[in-house]
Amino acid sequence: MITLELLEPIFREVFDNPDIVLNRGMSSDDIDNWDSLTHMNLVVAIELRFKVKFALGELKMLKNVGEMLDLINRKMAR
Amino acid sequence: MVPDIVEHDQYNIGYICTHRQCRRGLGNTSALRWISHRFERQDYTFADLDGLTNRFANVLTELGLRKGDVVFTFLPKMPEQFVAFLGGLKAQCITGTLFSNLGDDALLDRLADSGARLVVTSKSLYRKIERIRARLPQLRTVILIDVADDLSHDLLSWGRMMTAAHDDFATPVTPPETPSVLHYTSGSTGKPKGVLHCHKSVMQQARTAHEVLGLQRNDLYWCTADQGWVTGTSYGIIGPWSLGVTQLHFGGTYDAGCWLDLIARQGVTVWYTAPTALRMLMREEPTLFLAADLSSIRSIFSVGEPLNPEVISWARKTLGKDIFDTWFQTETGAIMIANCSRFPVRPGSMGKPVQGVEPAILADDGTICAAGEHGNLCIKQGWDSMFATYLNNSAAYEDRFKNSYYYTGDMAWRDDDGYYWFLGRSDDVINTSGHLVSPFEVESTLLELPEVVESAAIAAPDDLLFEKVVAFVHLKADVTLTPELMLKIRLHVANRLSSVAIPQEIIPVEEIPKNKSGKIMRRVMKSRYLGQDEGDITMLEEYGQ
Repeated sequence: MITLELLEPIFREVFDNPDIVLNRGMSSDDIDNWDSLTHMNLVVAIELRFKVKFALGELKMLKNVGEMLDLINRKMAR
Repeated sequence: MVPDIVEHDQYNIGYICTHRQCRRGLGNTSALRWISHRFERQDYTFADLDGLTNRFANVLTELGLRKGDVVFTFLPKMPEQFVAFLGGLKAQCITGTLFSNLGDDALLDRLADSGARLVVTSKSLYRKIERIRARLPQLRTVILIDVADDLSHDLLSWGRMMTAAHDDFATPVTPPETPSVLHYTSGSTGKPKGVLHCHKSVMQQARTAHEVLGLQRNDLYWCTADQGWVTGTSYGIIGPWSLGVTQLHFGGTYDAGCWLDLIARQGVTVWYTAPTALRMLMREEPTLFLAADLSSIRSIFSVGEPLNPEVISWARKTLGKDIFDTWFQTETGAIMIANCSRFPVRPGSMGKPVQGVEPAILADDGTICAAGEHGNLCIKQGWDSMFATYLNNSAAYEDRFKNSYYYTGDMAWRDDDGYYWFLGRSDDVINTSGHLVSPFEVESTLLELPEVVESAAIAAPDDLLFEKVVAFVHLKADVTLTPELMLKIRLHVANRLSSVAIPQEIIPVEEIPKNKSGKIMRRVMKSRYLGQDEGDITMLEEYGQ
């Protein structure tokens, strides 16, 4: 089961901010420099770290970190 | 008719955008309708904006800043950014806006070159400045917008200082040639150059906001550009407010549903956005637009990169509107060539010159090309918003002018009816989603990685971004380009330069072609990438030896 604590180091590395503390409600509006281009970096980093693959449509639907976490866990359970 | 924005020889942009509007009787008119990313709405009248910018001008004065000192904001779109920008101009400081996604190297280049004395930023963004601050001896003060109290003698609280400052400020009468706004722009060689404008640029910005964008007093105008770029200051701050027009600004990121909802609920009448955003909208489900009420919109404009005819065709069919493409550069300060409702749009064209601007298509020998002939797009010098210089680089400035013409670096042609048509850049600069990216900076950043021996960066066509950054990397003998290394490269570029500079493709190569003097032959790399004829390669190092 992937938790916020496991996701946090990836966010910190991708957004170059060691102070990021995730919660499920956070979105791109809450983290500096989270735009469509850095989002792709985040996706690749998560795919590599957790050995999952996202489809483009799946990612467009995500509204916050909590939904991203749930999607990762659903994929890892398959 | 453009309102008489200058009175008593007062050309100060900060004054004209705030106090002048109050004197015109607009003190109680909403200047800024701010919608936060959580959709909380807050309106600021011109009187509010005048008082707040006065306070910030007083803050700067109390901190000892003087006319000509350089002040930057390093913030995402937020009300404090507008206040600091206009307040800085009122105090006659040279005021710039740094894109909040800039990385450490990009920040260092800009802050060091300009000798910036003060930066307004947030606590989380400050960590980037903190890492380079030892190399910025001239940076005396940083103001943080989100701390309640000062953190040290030179790390101060916005709230505390603004509360303590007086809301009255006598803006010095500012002659037209006084330096005003500073933006950095990327070239194909060397470091980014500081494009310095003067206060009189407000004349051209007001005129074009009125004549091209057609702004009127009762409009609600929305410019989606980030304030870190010239569109965000010329048309997301100065042009509309110099006319007393209410601006909507939204603190959230791109979301098609949110954007359409904002237009409908707030009643946006004039919308200025970027082709990349329009192409993203084109990719949305058509049902989204069937449900959207866009009846309030009178005009839609775009800027940043050429607008493809397909987007215009889509907008006519889906939105029931034309989109008017406009063209200008950081250096021109204001719109030079544009489409507008006064003449038919020719899809794909840049439009026609705005009043008072004299473009010409010049051959390399300086002769004027006839209609239909391809050449260098140039502008006869002397327009009001013409840049004054490249800061600390007058030689580069002079290189841009020949025989009283400014060479834009764009190639274009003019048809028989006076429409201009963009062909491409005459240099290697990459225009990705409206942002100019220097291949030199990308290459230099890639070389910082221990795995990379040599690198080259080129512009390649892209359906969404107009152009994308493609990087070629010659790796060390024992290194292969794994997905992990690709991610490392992407993160390094994002965090050292900017997210807009991230290579969308990274291609390993055995060697980077260079000429005999060691210059990277990007033209050859691009031809190889596109599968085109490489042209004359006799100058290549590997062939020439």
